[in-house]
Order: sequence, then structure tokens, then C-alpha cells
Amino acid sequence: MAKVNEKKGAVNPVEKLAEAPVEFVREGSQFLSKCKKPDMKEYTKIIKAVGIGFVAVGIIGYAIKLVHIPIRYLIV
Amino acid sequence: MAGFRLIDVVKPFLPILPEVEAPFEKVSFDDKLVYTIISALIYIFSQFPLAGVSKEETVVKDPIYFLRGVFGAEPKTLLEFGIFPVFSSGLILQLLAGLKLIKVNFKVQQDRELFQTLTKLVALLQYFILANIFIFSGYYGEDLSIVQIGLLNLQLVGAGFVVILMSEVIDKGFGFASGCMTINTVVIATNLVADTFGFSQIAVGSDGNKEAQGSIINLLQGLRSKHKTFFGGLLSAFNRDYLPNLNTTLIVLAIGASVCYLQSFRLELPIRSTKARGVSNVYPIRLLHVGGLSVAFSYILLFTIHIAAFVVIQLIGKNDPSSIVCKIFGHYESVSNLFYTPTFPLSLLTPPKSLFSGLLQQPLTFFVYTAFMLVTGIWFADVWQGMSGSSARDLALQFKEQDITLTGRREQGVAKELEKVIPVASTTGAALLAILAIVGEFLGLKGKGAGMVVGVATGFSLLELISIDYQQSGGQSALAQVLGAPGRF
Repeated sequence: MAKVNEKKGAVNPVEKLAEAPVEFVREGSQFLSKCKKPDMKEYTKIIKAVGIGFVAVGIIGYAIKLVHIPIRYLIV
Repeated sequence: MAGFRLIDVVKPFLPILPEVEAPFEKVSFDDKLVYTIISALIYIFSQFPLAGVSKEETVVKDPIYFLRGVFGAEPKTLLEFGIFPVFSSGLILQLLAGLKLIKVNFKVQQDRELFQTLTKLVALLQYFILANIFIFSGYYGEDLSIVQIGLLNLQLVGAGFVVILMSEVIDKGFGFASGCMTINTVVIATNLVADTFGFSQIAVGSDGNKEAQGSIINLLQGLRSKHKTFFGGLLSAFNRDYLPNLNTTLIVLAIGASVCYLQSFRLELPIRSTKARGVSNVYPIRLLHVGGLSVAFSYILLFTIHIAAFVVIQLIGKNDPSSIVCKIFGHYESVSNLFYTPTFPLSLLTPPKSLFSGLLQQPLTFFVYTAFMLVTGIWFADVWQGMSGSSARDLALQFKEQDITLTGRREQGVAKELEKVIPVASTTGAALLAILAIVGEFLGLKGKGAGMVVGVATGFSLLELISIDYQQSGGQSALAQVLGAPGRF
């Protein structure tokens, strides 16, 4: 099979180039179908953990940004 | 020139540049957490407005507005360029070293030190160059005096220097994961909260009305305000394009959720111990093997291209549509007095402001931008998985050290099997992330989509590192006891 492909490539490099994305998509979707996907319970757990982390850090960060507002008034 | 190595050039700078010393003993979990959070917060705190900028409206507007979200860059503050220089010099130099374009022997202590210094120096140089490009383009105002130029340089480069050192603190083992990634994640999280719940009032329109920055707060205000009807308030909450609206917030959240979903895709390879019989387990290979780095890399390239174009068009062509330079490279048009959007050749790499105007005015952009993101992302993922510490070869070595092997494989076959899986996983993951970022950008997120992809992907790996560290050494953590969380992660 590989040999046939090589031969083809030697004849027509354009065809080989066009084949690369197709090959890539095929391999990728094969991999995806083999993958273990998270189930609902796991997914909600992940979303919760990431969400809490994101929002918590974001709120602390935003609080600091708020401190900026009076400082801006003072120096500008 | 045989024997010439780029890293030797920086030898004279080795004693001059300050360096963060690696911790003498193992840093405890609490300390790490505190170092990580505080340095990210210092970063946010240092978004001070620049002094010495002329007060009048300048003609030159922001040419990189859609790239800022990914690099935590705030216009006209000390962090004009965010962590872009640190990020790009770290990533690009490591890439070059991995491709053997820069000769570094990472086994030699001195080479490692030199490489580090080189990375810092390149980052500093980038801050300097970017600052001066912006200064001389007139972005901070026309005809600045020498004092002003010096002052601006001092501020931008000085702030950049602090950022470099701060990310080094985290890199060197005082924090989790890599410094720029951590800072980036925190900035993106902050921006998300500010765009959703931010209640600072910003004047919009000519009649001096004020609207809240956050989309949800704006919705509540719009429903109660007197100068709008109930329905009009609702409509503007979803549609305003000068500040974050509910649509963008929802899209950003959807992107974040999809990244989380993709993040937990994994291929579970059955493994067993070679020493003890009957002990079998699974080893997960992630779909997002390289994480958000691939999208970040694409954006680093975009940033570089756009800055280069800005130099050509603004500094050389003076943004004059009749000059020859601008006829070739296009020129900038200022949009709603805030942004600069480039015209034809460069517009191909600029995501459209909204989906419909993009479809009508620049249909080619959809192909070129998509192709650019996909090709660079996949190429990067392919190269990176081969050279980072988790390549197939390294993993096989790790397996051998820990006396485990894939079920049904001989020890020699392990590397081969892994080599079949890991490159496919990382490139496919990179392609999917790129697609998510592209979809977000085409829906008119102005960089928030890509920023969210990078932020959530790195935030996820950060959370994972923290939880691993917590399980290993969190038993004595005073912070966990105070928070009363025995094991929430």
C-alpha cells in the first residue's frame, strides 16, 4: 500500500499534496473515535472545577483592577 | 562559521542581567500557590496608564486590538505589549533549539544558563523594539519631546523587565507550570469576569450616557434605566458592539466549555507491570497533548506579522493610501475611533469585526485565516510533541524506568506504538483547538475567542498540576485547612 502511494507521489506530487489533508482527517477521526470521552458526571465535575477556579481568580483580579480606578483619577 | 553559536553571544551579559535563583529546598505547596497567585496579581496591578502620552486624540489607532486578548496586553498602559515578548522569545527560541537551528547542549550547565540569558535578552530587546515602533509611529501622539520618548521607553521597557523576572520566578520552581502561561490564564480570567460582571461605568456615545462594562450588569441596568424602553434595553444588551454584549459572553462561555470537553478526551492505553504479575492499569494519552500552546504559537506569528506590517505601513508609508508602499501592502482604516483595521493584503489575516460584514466585505479572509491558523497550529503541534519532554521516545524511556509496558507489547515495541499515537493525538488536538479559536474569531470576538481557548486549556493543565502537587504534599497545607477543603480538586 505504502509503495503504491509512493509511486503515485512520484508521478504526480500535486496529488500527493492533496492527499495529505484527507489522510490527516482520516487519521484524526479514527483517533477521536477510539478516544474515551467524558461522561456527563465527569464533565460536570470538570466544568465546575475549572469554572470555580476561573471565576475565583477572575474576581480577585477584577478587585485589583477596581483599585486602579481611583488611582487613575489621582495621577491622570 | 564553524563553531559559532548564538548562545555564546550573550556571554558578556551573563553577569549583568539579574537572575532569579532556583529555590534551595523544595518549595512547599502553600508557598507555591502564594507565589503563583501573587505574581499574577502584581501583573494585573501593573496595568497603570502610561505617563507622557499626549492628551489629544491621536490619529494612529491600535493596530493589534484583536491580538491583545491572547497576551494580556492593555492598550496605553505599562503593559502595552503584555507578555507577548516573554512568551514569544521563550517559545520561539525553544523551538529553534529543538529544530537544532540554535546549537545548545542542554546537558551542560553553562549552556543552559546561556540559553536562559539569551531568552531573557531577546524578550527585553523585543520590549524595546516594540516600544519604539509604537512611539515613533505616533501611537502615543505626534511630535513627542525627547523627554517624553525617554520616559515612555523607560516605562515600557522597565515594566517589561519586571514581567520577565516575574515569570522567571514561577518558571524556576517557585510556582506551578510556566510563568507566562500562569499570568496569561489569570489575566484572561480577570477579563472574562470584567466583561461579564464589570460594573465600572464607561461613557459611550456623544450624549454622555454611561453603560456598564460587564454584559450582565449592563442588561440589568438597561432594563431599569429611564432613557431606554424595556425592549430596547434588552436588545442593546445583546447587540451593542462597543462594549462586551451578552452574545459575546455566551459565545466565550461556550468556547470555554468546549475546550473543557475536548480536554478530557483521551486514549487509554492498557499497561502492565513487567515486575509484578497481574498488575494492570491504563495510561491516558491526551487529545490535547500540547494544550493551548499551538493556538498561542499561531497568535505569536500573527502578532509578528501584524507588527511588521505596521512598521512598513505606518513608519515607512505613513499610512497614506497614495504612496507606493501602501498601494502594495494596503493601509489602515480607523474604525469607531478606536481601532485600526488593515485593508486588502493584510486584511486576509485579520478576523472580521462581525460575521455578516465579514462575509460581505472580506470573504477571502475566511479561507486564508482558517488555513493560516490550521497550518501553523498543526505544524507547531507536530514539532513540539517531538521535542518536549513528553514525546514518544521520552515516554517509552519513562515506561522502562518504571518497569511498565503496554499490554501485549514487548518492551522494544512500546516506543513504536507510542509513536503511532502521540503525533496523531497532538496534531488532531491542535487542529480542533484552532477550529474553536477560528469559529470564535469569525463570530466577532476580537481575540477573546482565541484568548479563551488558550486560557482554559492552560488553566486546565494548571489545575491538574496543582491537584497533583496537592495530593503529594498537600497534607500539611495550612491553606487547605483554613479553606476547609480536604480535597476539592
